[in-house]
Amino acid sequence: MYQYDTLDKEFLADRAAEFREQVGRRLAGEITEDQFKPIRLMNGLYLQLHAYMLRVAIPYGSLNPAQLRVLADIGRTYDKGYGHFTTRQNLQFHWIKLADTPDILDRLAAVDMHAIQTSGNCIRNTTADPYSGATVEEVDDPRVWSEAIRQWSSLHPEFSFLPRKFKIAITGAAKDRTAAKVHDIGLMMRRGRDGTLGFEVIVGGGLGRTPFVGPTIKEFLPANRLVSYLEAVLRVYNRHGRRDNKYKARIKILVSALGAEEFGRQVEEEWAKIGPEGDLPDTEIARIRGAFAPLAFDSLVNRSEAFETAKAADPALARFARNNLREHKRAGYTIIEISLKAIGETPGDATSDQMDVIADLAERYGQGDIRVTHEQNIVLPHVKLDDVPAVHAALAAVGLATPNVNLITDMIACPGLDYCALANARAIPIAQDIARTFADQDRAELIGELKIKISGCINACGHHHVGHIGILGVDKKGEEFYQLTLGGSGAEDAAVGSMLGPALPADRVAPAIDTLVEVYLRERQGQERFLDTFRRTGVVPFKEAVYADAN
Amino acid sequence: MKALTGNRLTDGEVVFWKAGAWVERFADAELFADAEAGEAAEAHAKSQQTVIVDPYLIDLIESEGLWAPVSYRERLRALGPTNHLHHGKQAEGGAAIEALQHASGAARSKGRVNLIKR
Repeated sequence: MYQYDTLDKEFLADRAAEFREQVGRRLAGEITEDQFKPIRLMNGLYLQLHAYMLRVAIPYGSLNPAQLRVLADIGRTYDKGYGHFTTRQNLQFHWIKLADTPDILDRLAAVDMHAIQTSGNCIRNTTADPYSGATVEEVDDPRVWSEAIRQWSSLHPEFSFLPRKFKIAITGAAKDRTAAKVHDIGLMMRRGRDGTLGFEVIVGGGLGRTPFVGPTIKEFLPANRLVSYLEAVLRVYNRHGRRDNKYKARIKILVSALGAEEFGRQVEEEWAKIGPEGDLPDTEIARIRGAFAPLAFDSLVNRSEAFETAKAADPALARFARNNLREHKRAGYTIIEISLKAIGETPGDATSDQMDVIADLAERYGQGDIRVTHEQNIVLPHVKLDDVPAVHAALAAVGLATPNVNLITDMIACPGLDYCALANARAIPIAQDIARTFADQDRAELIGELKIKISGCINACGHHHVGHIGILGVDKKGEEFYQLTLGGSGAEDAAVGSMLGPALPADRVAPAIDTLVEVYLRERQGQERFLDTFRRTGVVPFKEAVYADAN
Repeated sequence: MKALTGNRLTDGEVVFWKAGAWVERFADAELFADAEAGEAAEAHAKSQQTVIVDPYLIDLIESEGLWAPVSYRERLRALGPTNHLHHGKQAEGGAAIEALQHASGAARSKGRVNLIKR
């Protein structure tokens, strides 16, 4: 993975020292809360319901074992022994003390980590395919380009005070695991007809109170022109974005108002002014690419007798292998996705002890590489098939072998009203209820891929708009109610779901999901996923069943 | 009936006003039957910039013979998260905590909605 140089390291140490001084001035009363709040937010520190929350950046969801161990130890020392992985591949600590934060930032800086640009109206952490560099599906490694964006966008003076926050996603594979089409900018890597590398550029997607699947404004952007083109997009947005109205300030509103064609035209005009001198030199791209050079893989055959024998003897391992392994580009290797969705637990939470085990496994069996998914799971991207039984056993020993990736219990849920000061309703208990309802793994596998995404408010951190089944918590006269949407997708077939009907009280949500699943199992044809069946039948059979039950 | 609450500056802990000081348990909070007394305490609290962040008054209702915040959000603040029952103030247990857990009032919380912005 990319290694910080001396300049990066010195900068992070200086920044942590600066925040220590700022916290000292706040505690001494030399600056007011109004003065301090923007400063702490620039360092990822929010004040939530029960305590401060620190959001730590995990650049493009990539971690090494030393970093994960430090996160584990911060959880143990300064929080309650756990951390929460978010839908933007970051990690949040929910029980942080202001007075401890300078020490925490020092600990992070020691392993090249920080909380910069995890808040505020700036360019946030770039989301990348968690299978980067491992999946057989990719045309190029998106981490190279994500790192280039990280360097370009970090503390970029022109783009530190945008009309609103700005999020970029990159997928190197046609199969999209980044929700690229609902980011401010989604970049989908392509090979041109002449074999050159480039991006399809999608701008103005987004969730929140006004969800959009972003339109493509450029079919093929040569890869080496990426930075100047991003600069042109940001410049048009910075100039015309609605600073007068927070709810209309995201780029999606501007693109929608101008139309994709006109927005694209303005970007082209701006891009022509910037010219190729606005791009990174090829030598710099090559230098960054060097940091992601292919690892030293052994030459293996694509079948492990040890693994096959172990699977035949252990149904739990066989089930884990069916659901949590993905094809690796090298023979004899696999991608292991570790579900943080154990039945009845909080989606995305990992204890410090679990993080330590994952770090150990990555070191011993996984080439020291760890990824975070936007669906709140962890990935060991490079494991030999021979080693899967040992990894599975070690994961099972700490409750991390839940075999449900992409199944109905592999839900996204935001922290919701249990933690978040913005939330209107809880999300976690709804996820727990649903997980218990579908705890039977045989039934979960029979249902197949079904993505449930739950948000505790319209800001949509839980991506409910793009859930095959989306659940939105709303506040009805102070009581928690939940609106269901169907037919959304955050993948390459992105779509915003449509509302099923009137909101339901909390205790009716899991039974309603059960009803929806029964309708799907009754209606489905062949290998259809829930989403495919819904798209074919439309909402009527689902709506009739849920509200017949409700009456 | 009202109480005065906020988050302590140094650690973010949820605290409640009691006669010029701040206590961690809702059960120990000073209760204001008189609107003017509550507002005077709030004004005083707002001057304690190095102690408390964004203090505000909350409405209360009766629950099992005790008082509880009307809004669910405020009851969560006074208890802790429902996904980790051993985290937060609820871990202590007892009659006062149970009364909060059983309270069923419903109203929008007015205090903290704009406290943080993403």
